[in-house]
Amino acid sequence: MGLKPATNPDVEAATIELSIDGKSVTAKDGVSLYDVIAMTGKIIPAMCYHYTFDPFGSCGMCLVMQEGKKAPVRSCTAKAAAGMVIRTEGEDLFLARKKAVEKHLSVHPLDCPVCDADGHCELQDMAFQHGVTNLANAKQKFIPEDTRSPVLDFNMNRCIACAECINVCKDVLMIDALQFMKKGGFNQVVAKGDLPLNCEFCGDCLAVCPVGAITNKFSKYLYKPWQIKKTTTTCNYCGDGCQMYLETKDEEVVRVTSPLSWKNKWGDRSETAKGHGGLCVRGRFGFEYLDSQDRLTQPLVREGGQLVRKPWLETMHLLVDRLTEIKSKYGADAIGGLVTARCTNEELYLFQKLMRAGVGTNNIDSSARYGHMNFVLASKHAVGLGRMPNDWEDLTKAKAIILIGSNITETNPLTAVRVKEAVRVYKAQVVTLDSAITNIAKLASHPFLIKPGTEGMVIDGLVKAVIDQDLVDEETVGKHPKAFEALKSAVANVSLEQASVLTGLPVAAFKEIAAIFAESPRSIVLCAEGIVRRPNGYQNVLKVMDLAWITGKLGRAGCGVNTVTEEPNEQGAVDMGAAPEFLPGQARFDDPGARERFATAWDISLPPVGSGAHLIEILKRCKGGQIKALYILGENPLATLPASMEVRAALERLELLVVQDPFLTDTGKLAHFVLPACTYAEKDGTFTNLEGRVLRVRQAMDPLGESVPDWHILTALANAMGCQWEYQSANDIQAEIMKLLPGYYNLGQPRKIAPVPDQYLSNGYTAEVKGRYQPISPSGEHTRPFSLLMGQLLAHSGKMSTQAPGLIKIAPNTGKLRMNIRDMERLGLQDGAKVRVTSDRGSLQLGVQPDQSIAPGTCFFPEHFNEPPVKDLMTVLVDTTTGVPSFKQIWVSVEPA
Amino acid sequence: MSVAALTKKILHAALFYEIWDAMKVTFRHMLHRPMTFQYPREQRTIPDTHRGALGLLRYDDGQERCVGCDLCEVACPSHCIKVISAEDTTRPLQRYASEFYIDITKCVFCGYCVEACPVNALAMTKMYEYSTHDKRSLLFDKKRLYDIGERHLEDGKKYLYAHNQEKDVEQSREYRYYFPQSVQKSTQSPPKHLS
Repeated sequence: MGLKPATNPDVEAATIELSIDGKSVTAKDGVSLYDVIAMTGKIIPAMCYHYTFDPFGSCGMCLVMQEGKKAPVRSCTAKAAAGMVIRTEGEDLFLARKKAVEKHLSVHPLDCPVCDADGHCELQDMAFQHGVTNLANAKQKFIPEDTRSPVLDFNMNRCIACAECINVCKDVLMIDALQFMKKGGFNQVVAKGDLPLNCEFCGDCLAVCPVGAITNKFSKYLYKPWQIKKTTTTCNYCGDGCQMYLETKDEEVVRVTSPLSWKNKWGDRSETAKGHGGLCVRGRFGFEYLDSQDRLTQPLVREGGQLVRKPWLETMHLLVDRLTEIKSKYGADAIGGLVTARCTNEELYLFQKLMRAGVGTNNIDSSARYGHMNFVLASKHAVGLGRMPNDWEDLTKAKAIILIGSNITETNPLTAVRVKEAVRVYKAQVVTLDSAITNIAKLASHPFLIKPGTEGMVIDGLVKAVIDQDLVDEETVGKHPKAFEALKSAVANVSLEQASVLTGLPVAAFKEIAAIFAESPRSIVLCAEGIVRRPNGYQNVLKVMDLAWITGKLGRAGCGVNTVTEEPNEQGAVDMGAAPEFLPGQARFDDPGARERFATAWDISLPPVGSGAHLIEILKRCKGGQIKALYILGENPLATLPASMEVRAALERLELLVVQDPFLTDTGKLAHFVLPACTYAEKDGTFTNLEGRVLRVRQAMDPLGESVPDWHILTALANAMGCQWEYQSANDIQAEIMKLLPGYYNLGQPRKIAPVPDQYLSNGYTAEVKGRYQPISPSGEHTRPFSLLMGQLLAHSGKMSTQAPGLIKIAPNTGKLRMNIRDMERLGLQDGAKVRVTSDRGSLQLGVQPDQSIAPGTCFFPEHFNEPPVKDLMTVLVDTTTGVPSFKQIWVSVEPA
Repeated sequence: MSVAALTKKILHAALFYEIWDAMKVTFRHMLHRPMTFQYPREQRTIPDTHRGALGLLRYDDGQERCVGCDLCEVACPSHCIKVISAEDTTRPLQRYASEFYIDITKCVFCGYCVEACPVNALAMTKMYEYSTHDKRSLLFDKKRLYDIGERHLEDGKKYLYAHNQEKDVEQSREYRYYFPQSVQKSTQSPPKHLS
């Protein structure tokens, strides 16, 4: 690392003093002079500088005069030193900077009127500011535009070689997809090796380009920046909750831009620990579904086996009649509700309130049940905190990070950038334990490949290794000697050698990982889909908690056990009580105090304790005929769950199926009523991201067609069913939540709650831990040789992203099974050859393609696509404690067809 | 009343003096050239700087001048212009207006759009007769604007010369801006006016 502040949080840099424009300024030693000047509030133009990476020093604009030097110096690459006397203003400096602008402009095409960056161009601003009106010796480049990439166009005629794109890609995102290449007498930015750009397509290069050299294919030549309305909102794709600007023109979404931009270049490097402001491919290029032609614009009602368009009023009348009829005929418990975690907090709150207060049932669940619930319940049980204890800053500044079953560059790309920063800036040791060759493993200091489905055994082994090597933190363990003894005896029958055989991880590796984790001052475990979405997720999270506890990492600042969420508001869904076990604020449904509070606030009597059903139970009851009416808000269980769950049969048995969604989903096609809902771009509200930060969602455009925000539909439905709800806007709902859950919004900054395991360790721990570490049975004998995994792709999120043509262009559904090239060679398969995949559930014929990220012995199919229906090969294992269905892995045999 | 005054009065009355006095003006005007002219049979000569209906111009080779830059839209004080631009797929890098609308009923004929145009694609013509029974036809679209520009090409050019925006035909492609030419291959030589 070059001239940036000493970024080791443990070391405080020495303070120096220097003089800037006659004023004495104190600064940290080793800092770039430019940063020191920027900190005083003075702005010196600089076109190649951005605070997120090291100064590059190519533009020659940041000139200052240093006493004792004849010529101006570039302040960005100069190091601030004690006793410097600096002058930042003056005629001579102005002329020197003007000369630099002229130098850039003389090889820049003067095509501003047709350039997309017109009005948002630093070179244009600089030329105006410095009064450049006449150019002698202007020279034109004649470089063809590189339009090979699916999302970005490179017009190198306009490039000023500031290298911001290259630096952000290499230094911040660690993807390193761009490089300089001398072509046609000019230094040009090209994709690595001058091949078509093939990267993660996060578009951060586009964001930092100060001119129009890199352009967005989606908005090319459409509008000028001043014609577009810019709305700050929160991304709707994953739990990272990135802030972004949705740029719209009337009813059309033009593009998405990020807070990371050349305009936003001044800052302190240490601020990036909280996020660098960039976006990922989904956020930046996956906006096209918002104004898609396929959006539902009118309510649909089933009439004679067909969905017919009906006006809202008639639909609502029919719907309410049916719903009240079912309620009076079969009782409130014959009605259930499923809600997606892509809704805002306000809507999730209203949905559970409608179900509990309006209908009177506790049959309610959200898509957090697909995995996040495992973490929430385990964490709540063990340490009393139902969310991640650490935020992005903790993750960035951690010294050791263990990623178990976490392909975070694909699932949560911006959380992955935080891990990358931990590696790059703070020199953290990163251990990855995954059954795929993930992108983060390529950057990790300790990448380990484990056998599929053995994440739990790895944790067993790690706990054992910590105890064997006596890496336990005596102080924390000393507080609960009984609990520790119980744990010790529980892991006594775990053998590292056996774990090594089963997981494929050498014994030495177990010991090394345990040592790294235990000995670092700040250690973080991230257990994502490989833990929470797989069998025994609840137990495995508890085991990780054990590991953190005995090493003294539970409750210590900067340490903790974390997860990531797949959908933007899974945390909010849990916090708002859209689950049968929780009331809002994660109060237990059977907690008499909380019940009393909400019953009074809502002026009803809550459904009885013990009633209610989670997702799988609801579907089971639908099939069994106990539930007659199901209200599905944004969920799509038919396309998500494998055929063995018999979702279709369950839904077809219903007397009333209501689906509320922006699109006509597979589940919607079975429904009796389909209500057109708005996307997040058309409504106000908040999302709670994985850190627990409450982030605002703002309305960017009017609802499309006759679609209506979800909260509006819910309010209308509740009032028609006899409630007295007077919500006029999302703000009114927020006011109610604020009253009931004081401090939940807290200006978007979650309260830091230290996880405390004491309560759990002294009560009931000893009894529970006994069964947790079952001696590993040699179940390695599989009749089928391959492990079929289903998971997320970087460019997709759930099924929603498949509605965005841009993302489909980047990552189309190839319909092929991804395999390791060696396995393909062994089976004698060419790319595209047909194979027959057989599992216990059935068999399927499909093509294969080689994929570098797939480990030998495994094959992969993205969970976003059901064509061919690979998900139907899966069996579903339902966690007995949490009811989380796991259906992402199965053993299959693959034969050439 | 004196005798002389009375005599004068009687004489004036007998000779209809007032009438002759009044008719003097009329008869004098018979010798003047008429101030008015017989519109529409006769038409007034209009100066080159006249700000009439707007038209879009083409180059001599028939290519559209407009690059769809939206600057006229921004300059327009009455918001009567709407440009929708796109990339010409046959000539990479060339931006053009796929649609162009001027609501001439809103236009205040200030000429700002012409001034803003970086390629002198817009010009004001001497055409001012476009009354119609159908108000909707006064929303000029791209085709209509090019028709006007074609029919009144000479007037449009004269307008631009008169307003010092363009000097002569040779110079019509040299502007304040150098637009990128459509580069198909890297070995292509630069066009004449830019070399």
